[in-house]
Amino acid sequence: MTIDWWTLGIQTINVAILVWLLGRFFWRPVAAMIEQRRNVAQTMLKEAEAGQNKAAAALTDIEKTRAGFSAERDAILAAARDEAAKAATSRLAEEATAAAGREAAARAAIAQDRADAEKAWARSAASLATDIAGRLAGRLDGTAVRAAFLDWLLQGIRALPETVRQAAAAEGAGLLATTATPLDPAEQDRCRALIGEAFGSAVEIAFKVDPALIAGFELSGPHLEVANSWRADLARIQKDLAHGD
Amino acid sequence: MTSPLSSVALFHLGPVPISEGVVATWAIMLVLILGGLLLGRRLSLVPSALQAFLELIVEAVDSQIRDTMRVEPGPYRAFIGTLFVFIFLANWTTLVPGVEPPTAHLETDAALALLVFLAVIWFGVRAGGARGYLASFASPNLVMVPLNIVESLTRSFSMMVRLFGNVMSGVFVAGIVLSLAGLLVPIPLMALDLLTGAVQAYIFAVLAMVFIAGVVEDAKRPADAAPERKLP
Repeated sequence: MTIDWWTLGIQTINVAILVWLLGRFFWRPVAAMIEQRRNVAQTMLKEAEAGQNKAAAALTDIEKTRAGFSAERDAILAAARDEAAKAATSRLAEEATAAAGREAAARAAIAQDRADAEKAWARSAASLATDIAGRLAGRLDGTAVRAAFLDWLLQGIRALPETVRQAAAAEGAGLLATTATPLDPAEQDRCRALIGEAFGSAVEIAFKVDPALIAGFELSGPHLEVANSWRADLARIQKDLAHGD
Repeated sequence: MTSPLSSVALFHLGPVPISEGVVATWAIMLVLILGGLLLGRRLSLVPSALQAFLELIVEAVDSQIRDTMRVEPGPYRAFIGTLFVFIFLANWTTLVPGVEPPTAHLETDAALALLVFLAVIWFGVRAGGARGYLASFASPNLVMVPLNIVESLTRSFSMMVRLFGNVMSGVFVAGIVLSLAGLLVPIPLMALDLLTGAVQAYIFAVLAMVFIAGVVEDAKRPADAAPERKLP
């Protein structure tokens, strides 16, 4: 066994050259590419992490903004509720006031209508009563009734002030005596005598018949008016009824 | 049949005989260099299948260097990786009919062992300087200096003989069986030879890493540890 030293040297040089060439053109570029890819991957991971952090921050901002929106919406809704409550209260108060006014007006109108109706009914009732009383009194006309009214007339004359009686008697002017039924001459004279006595002096009296008196004896003159009949009484009663309330 | 222990010159370049192993080595170099050049121009961040495969090889070499040497693989990648790839391809050239693996000849294995021997010196000096490298022979103490010197020679010799013996024996046995039994009988032996070739490439690269790592570690050892190397 021998060793060819030429071959040994050539092979040594060959492998050394191969080591140098492969190191330059294969191992180093491939390793650099691996390292570059690793760096790129790390850069991408960092960028992705930064992007993720950025997205998380943006998400946080969005959450805050959304929370702000919610709070603002709640505030707006609360303000709207308060405003609506105030408006409703005000509107209710206005409507209550208006309703109270309308109710008062309606009550007043109802009261007025009721009063008017009562007045109308009173007038109607008074008129009806007057008619009834007139018809009833028509049947009672007679001597006793005339005597009673003549007494009431004389009491009325005597109740007049003295100056009035003297003035009515001094004028000498004729007085007008109105009765519901005609009087015969004797009765007229008797009435003249009693009335003159009541005035304190003789007076000229003319007689007139007016069935509207129903019953009674009225005396009138230029300055004198003595209403003494059922018509006058009924009219007074009716007037009192009409104004009684 | 030619003896595998002899190196037959195919032709001469002047006084230099060019053997079959040298030609096969040139062919392997040509394939590797051209492949490296072509691939180096086509590297991209998005790798092709071929680039991914070659990157896998680089990553495997780097990982092996980290695991074995406990250092970053950058300075050692080219040497260790080239040794492994070259020996692997050289061992597998037995698949090419009529071609004997360059590693089946003692000169090629001796050249590889010589390169490892020189690389140990180179990386040791680079790590701790000439003084640090020489001090590494005194590890763990000065008594070990002669033994360490002998060891540095014998371990290179053992690497050479181991690789040569395994590859040559495979080729030799396959040739004998082929000459005796016929065409298809040596196929299982050739397959075994391929496995042996791959394993021997791995062993050679790992041993180179171990030798370099030992020297680098000793050369880097701090000066305060030096008294421990002295004789008691």
